Amino acid sequence: MPMYNSYPLIIILVLFISAFAIPIFKSIKMARIIGISAAAISFVLSILTLMGVKADGAYYFRVGHFDAPWGIEFHIGIIEGLMGVLFMTVSLAVLWFSVYSIGHDLSKKKVPLFYTLVNLLVGSLLGIVFSDDLFNCFVFIEISSIASCGIVVVKDKKENIKAALKYLILSSLGSGLVLMGIALVYSLTGHLNMPHAHDVFVSIYPEHSRNMLIAVGLFTVGLGVKSAMFPLHTWLPDAHTYAPASSSALLSALVLKAYVILYIKIIYRLFGMSIVGDLPVLSIVLLLGSVGMIAGSVLAILQKNLKRMVAYSSVAQMGYVFFGIGLGTTMGLAAAIFQIFNHAFTKSALFLSAGSIIEKTGKKNISDLKGIGKEMPFTLAIFTIGGMSLVGIPLLSGFNSKWNFAVAVIEGHRVELLAVVLISSLLNALYYFPVIINGYFGEESLEGKVYRNTERPLKELLPIIVLVLGVIYFGVSGGGLLSLIEAGIPAIK
Amino acid sequence: MNFIALVPIAFPMALAAGMHFIKFKSETDRRVYLLGGVLLNFIFAMFVISTPQPEMHILKINDFMEIYFNVDGMSKLFLTMTSVLWIFTTAYSFDYMNHEGKEEKFFTYFLVTAGVITGISLAGNIFTFYIFYEFLTLSTFPLVIHTGSRQALVSGKKYLIYSFSGATLVLLGMILLFSVSGNLDFVPGGVLNGMLIGKRITAAYVILFLGFSVKAAMVPFHSWLPAAMVAPTPVSSLLHAVAVVKSGIFALVRITFYLFGAQAVNAMHVRGYLSILVVLTILMGSFVALHQENLKKRLAYSTISQLGYIMLGILLLNEDGLTGALLHLINHAVVKITLFFCVGIIMYRTGYKTIGEIRGIGKKMPITMGCFSIAAISLIGIPPTNGFVSKWFLAMGGLQENRAIFVVILLVSAILTAAYLMPIVITAFFPGEMGRELENKEPPLMMLVPVVMLTGISVALGLFPNFILHFIQDISKILI
Repeated sequence: MPMYNSYPLIIILVLFISAFAIPIFKSIKMARIIGISAAAISFVLSILTLMGVKADGAYYFRVGHFDAPWGIEFHIGIIEGLMGVLFMTVSLAVLWFSVYSIGHDLSKKKVPLFYTLVNLLVGSLLGIVFSDDLFNCFVFIEISSIASCGIVVVKDKKENIKAALKYLILSSLGSGLVLMGIALVYSLTGHLNMPHAHDVFVSIYPEHSRNMLIAVGLFTVGLGVKSAMFPLHTWLPDAHTYAPASSSALLSALVLKAYVILYIKIIYRLFGMSIVGDLPVLSIVLLLGSVGMIAGSVLAILQKNLKRMVAYSSVAQMGYVFFGIGLGTTMGLAAAIFQIFNHAFTKSALFLSAGSIIEKTGKKNISDLKGIGKEMPFTLAIFTIGGMSLVGIPLLSGFNSKWNFAVAVIEGHRVELLAVVLISSLLNALYYFPVIINGYFGEESLEGKVYRNTERPLKELLPIIVLVLGVIYFGVSGGGLLSLIEAGIPAIK
Repeated sequence: MNFIALVPIAFPMALAAGMHFIKFKSETDRRVYLLGGVLLNFIFAMFVISTPQPEMHILKINDFMEIYFNVDGMSKLFLTMTSVLWIFTTAYSFDYMNHEGKEEKFFTYFLVTAGVITGISLAGNIFTFYIFYEFLTLSTFPLVIHTGSRQALVSGKKYLIYSFSGATLVLLGMILLFSVSGNLDFVPGGVLNGMLIGKRITAAYVILFLGFSVKAAMVPFHSWLPAAMVAPTPVSSLLHAVAVVKSGIFALVRITFYLFGAQAVNAMHVRGYLSILVVLTILMGSFVALHQENLKKRLAYSTISQLGYIMLGILLLNEDGLTGALLHLINHAVVKITLFFCVGIIMYRTGYKTIGEIRGIGKKMPITMGCFSIAAISLIGIPPTNGFVSKWFLAMGGLQENRAIFVVILLVSAILTAAYLMPIVITAFFPGEMGRELENKEPPLMMLVPVVMLTGISVALGLFPNFILHFIQDISKILI
């Protein structure tokens, strides 16, 4: 067994152990050192894992003493490896950024708690991605739900508590539905391990198709709530708006994505395309994804608060992911996974830059931010690149993502759906460009004001710049990532 | 690899960036820097045109997304036109922008646009073209809203919405075409290679045509253009004569003859529907221009009508029609920029904006209004001006198609052109009452010289059209 096989487990352990080590020291400095070095170690290990699976292919990793049907297994393929790298890159950048910014939002006592929660959250999300065991996934889902509510409420303002409660209730509802789905799967097959349950499903399929439909439906709605599928997104704007900037970035870039990966695994690994293809579920997912792409953007246009606008844009962007899954083709799935990358980098850069603007100026509303480009040119430039990526300006990752969806749509002989992709990207322009244009060219709010430079020092912007470089990199050479994803897809089937 | 051809793209952008690092001691220093830079860029462009250039494959993301430049006849024509006119606009802008203010911002975006437009002319496939086409919107937008007034911002928003909607259609068309042809390079005669013309190809052509015609201000997508007249005059001339609308036209030539090919477009049977829109553009532009009081708006509607001529020439799909279209592309650019510069001079010296105010102004600025008159005559198409030559070829093209109706439309529109331009000349030179004091209000030399030289060019193009005519005929021979 090669060395790297145990790295996924080590990553999760490192993150969990560091999370519980932080409270022992009670100092902000130690919390930072432990939190960030744990993330850095995990980052390196995730890269090594990805390189390993790229060379040798997917593998199963036995956790504990027992073999698969009884014991817990991890399944690590290229997709899981890529997600590991993505999650660790983004969380490392966010943690780096939080060094400069989190003290502004939180009271001193709460800062170590923030690092505990973040490491706990990222560890559990990776657990969801790696694990091949349904109940094990459920345990990680619960940990991540608590931790993600935690990083919202860690800033103890009134609206944060309200938002976190809303989030907690809906998220628990989602977990409950997932648990019922797992119970149904277990009662039908007697297994919790996905490939084993899949084998039983194939043999009992025709006589139990209704039960399976119910099970898929439970997973779709349960995970749909957690990953903000369109009509189930209502918790998201509040939670993402009121959380500290670093938390918002993590919530939208990573938390939503882990549940989608689990959903993909449930569709392809647990049930298999041969069964799900017969059920009407994917058409519904496609429909909800399309509606979400348009409606999320329309709702974003109506927003007055900058962070809330960016949050609604996440609903639209998650719509793309579900759109790709709903197409039910390999290319659609690859496009969805590429979109996960695109959105993780772009949206975290957008949230961090929007958060910086709000932090430095104290203004939350878009209408108050006219002329902000004069005061914070670099921060707004980062926001601009992120916005342009989502609008679909060529050479940025968002354009590649849209192109992939277009190819998927044409390959799947659903040309009419091209209109949804293009209208949605046009709508994106309608809310990102006004912010940028008024920021750089509007001067009304500067009139009669003393010019003051509120720009963050370049050093503090560096983590966001790293994320933006990711956006540009995937825009210029997105082909490599896409072919890697395509190579990884057979392993999750 | 020899990437010398990319210098005219990068150099103006470097100039724009350099402006912010160099501390100019005086206004004159900056003028020398800018004019010198633009002249140097012109020399680079001429060098690129006159020496053989290799195909430049810069970056390949996948089969569709490839950044690829290639210098062919059309590129040469377009690049020559833009880089020559850029020099005049730069010189003209110095004094004009002095009175508008915020010059540093203006010249930054002005130079960036110069680089972007070169990218458009050198693009070797539609994806590269599309990138620069989007950047063109982004780099000209700050120029449109330059004055920063509420009205300017509203017009700017309109400009953005129209342009991005058009670009979205273009993207849709590109994807559809790519799904059939798998190749989007600009090749004379098209990439379809005698493929059966199915619904998807037809849809792709119509969508691309409509998408690009937004920038080419075809009715009913034209209304951003008159609205954008709130911009300073050098910007208007840039939008109209040099960069924006002409890049829309250039795109239409590229897709019709280099992507689909004349044969394929002919086989689609959609020309009839598209030419209805084009004829509407010609007539509506002229009629609306008739009762515009504001001089710049009158010229804006005139542009819409004249662009209709060019699009008509493209849709005729024969050699004379295309020759006429390309010739008119050049002639209209030279003439319209002259007209705009003259109106700009009037605004600069007197602040007058409407036709009622300029009574007798020809006496005070005889050179300016003289140039205006010559340009107006040329636009109407009275021989021996350059406008006559291009309209002659357009009419010939129409007759070859056995469509005498097109000739009639051209003549009607020429009369209308006279009807909306001549009143300006007449009011300026033959006032009813001679109430006002006679003083010379000619503008500074830096503004006047470009106008006179441009008028000279349009006269020269009318008297000796052969040089450029042969060049254009060579291009159209390959394409038809």
